[in-house]
Amino acid sequence: MSLYKPGLLRPGFPLLIRDFLVYNVLSENVHYGRNAYGYQLCVEKKMSDKADAKEGTSTEKTPLAQVPLVRMVDIDKWFGKVNALRGINFTVNHGEIVGLVGDNGAGKSTLIKILSGFHPADRGEIYFEGKKVNISNPKLAKNLGIETVYQEQALAPHISIARNVFMGREPTKFLGFMDRGMMDSESMGAITKLGLRIKDPEAMVEMLSGGQRQGVAIARVMYFKAKLVVLDEPTIALSVKESQQVLDFMQQLKAEGISVIFITHNIFHAFQVAERFFILARGEMLIDVRKEDTTIDHLIELIVSGRSEIKS
Amino acid sequence: MNANNNSDKKRRKVSSYFIRMRSLNVFFIFVLLFAVFAVFSPGHRFTSGENMHIFLSTGAEFTIVAIVVGMLMISGEFDLSVGSILVFASYIFITLFHAGVHIFLSLIITLVVGGIVGFINGIITVKARIPSFITTLGAMLLWRGVTLLLSGGLQQGLVLTENPIMYKAITGVIGKIMPAQFLWFIGISVVITLIMHFHKFGNWIFTTGDNKMAARAMGINTDRIKVVCFTVVGIAVAFAGVMQMFRSETFSARAGDGWELKAITAAVVGGTALTGGMGTMMGVFWGALVIVIIENGLIFMRIQYWWTFTIFGVIIVSTAIISRYFDRRRTMLGAEKNV
Repeated sequence: MSLYKPGLLRPGFPLLIRDFLVYNVLSENVHYGRNAYGYQLCVEKKMSDKADAKEGTSTEKTPLAQVPLVRMVDIDKWFGKVNALRGINFTVNHGEIVGLVGDNGAGKSTLIKILSGFHPADRGEIYFEGKKVNISNPKLAKNLGIETVYQEQALAPHISIARNVFMGREPTKFLGFMDRGMMDSESMGAITKLGLRIKDPEAMVEMLSGGQRQGVAIARVMYFKAKLVVLDEPTIALSVKESQQVLDFMQQLKAEGISVIFITHNIFHAFQVAERFFILARGEMLIDVRKEDTTIDHLIELIVSGRSEIKS
Repeated sequence: MNANNNSDKKRRKVSSYFIRMRSLNVFFIFVLLFAVFAVFSPGHRFTSGENMHIFLSTGAEFTIVAIVVGMLMISGEFDLSVGSILVFASYIFITLFHAGVHIFLSLIITLVVGGIVGFINGIITVKARIPSFITTLGAMLLWRGVTLLLSGGLQQGLVLTENPIMYKAITGVIGKIMPAQFLWFIGISVVITLIMHFHKFGNWIFTTGDNKMAARAMGINTDRIKVVCFTVVGIAVAFAGVMQMFRSETFSARAGDGWELKAITAAVVGGTALTGGMGTMMGVFWGALVIVIIENGLIFMRIQYWWTFTIFGVIIVSTAIISRYFDRRRTMLGAEKNV
């Protein structure tokens, strides 16, 4: 159930009163935030409500699709005296590709590093599937199903493809010894499923092209049933053809019901696949807009000017 | 024409297999050196049972050190302090032993001390974020200095014959040639090889050395892995030090001098990358034995001992050059195989 209350949640509305209303008067698990539809208030049934939990139908009352997969509320981050992020509200829905676009130093990576547990946020809250979470290290993010694929940092080049796929999560037979047969067959299965052609799972990653490497990294997150995949500049050093391949991989992820955050400088790449655009500049949000409601020229203008009050 | 093509392909496959198996190359160098020394040493004394015994026991001590140093290098760190940890551990052991502590307990305490010294190296490197080259350079000078201060630089005799079990377990001889040390060394090598290449922890060590950021992003605690590697080095080196003292029955404040660089040489000859993430335990194994056989063989060839350093110098640089060439070939061969 969600309530649309623009008046209550106007940006200028005093925060304290709003919070008081939300948490004490409504006394339900309520959240708010700006998304593509404007300011929105969502009310969820408390999961602790025993009657609901027993019925097992509580999920039907609040379909998962209505609760955003991830909601980062009012995130602030300081590095020394540099305010890297200022009051960012960022939402990702289920099975959605979000283009997180901005120039260098806009705060894209910082935002994602907070989400994936590399940095703690100085202020703000993160909700995952409606529940408040505290992501203090990368492992916790992984356990939630948030996987980040960094271009330079995704794979270890001198180690076999199979070992890279299972890096840190090796299937074991006994006493922690790896089940290498399974690693080989499963990794090949995941890679083939993605439509990538690699013959030998024992080959070193160094021998793969840039696009293939991205493919292996994406096959890995697909295999481990991620719910949200963050791709950090996946097309930055790739040829045109390989970039296209990576964009296809993203569509595959979406087809699997996996949400994708696509971080890029390249608005043209983002525009091909993303359904929503979240543009940052100097640690502030410029715009959060659905693809239908905007044009590529408008987005380019925004990024170049770095100001949100451009009239297009 | 076709048959010709086929045989050409086959030949290329054999050669490519040879290039891909880095440890095999080192093994052939070892065999070659063995043959040369066996044939050319005066009176073929190199292959006498007595020398084989010496070769295997001294080889065992050094190769244990080289294997663990190789493991640490794969995780992306160096340890220049192995020689000093070795002598410090030896000193701890002999002091405890002479103070009347039971030999078995002394050994355990020595191994723990070795582990602690390695652990300190690791913690400093990881937490202070300084290169392990610097940390362990400091540790090398520190622990050598401490040992010299405590021992006064004097040699001490170690009489162990009243402890037959312990003595036999480390310095016993099987079939007049095979020293018990060699079995220890084979055992340690097998365990470390299994862990490095078949255990998930080994995979974590490789990924940590190869791409630390990737390993961290995948939830691997790279700091902990490095500290564990340093600690294992400390323990194994302490054990090698005790073994050496059992064999020579003396404590010398200069024991293990120069081993740090010899161990790194062995690892590099065995195909370990200085940058981490690359290498095989088999390679380090044969690389260490190559170093030991050169040292031992040159003596039997009646070549002055000082030549060994010269030859090590030439070997380390030439292996680096040759393996650079072969690495490129290997990448190309792999690419050929995979496209």
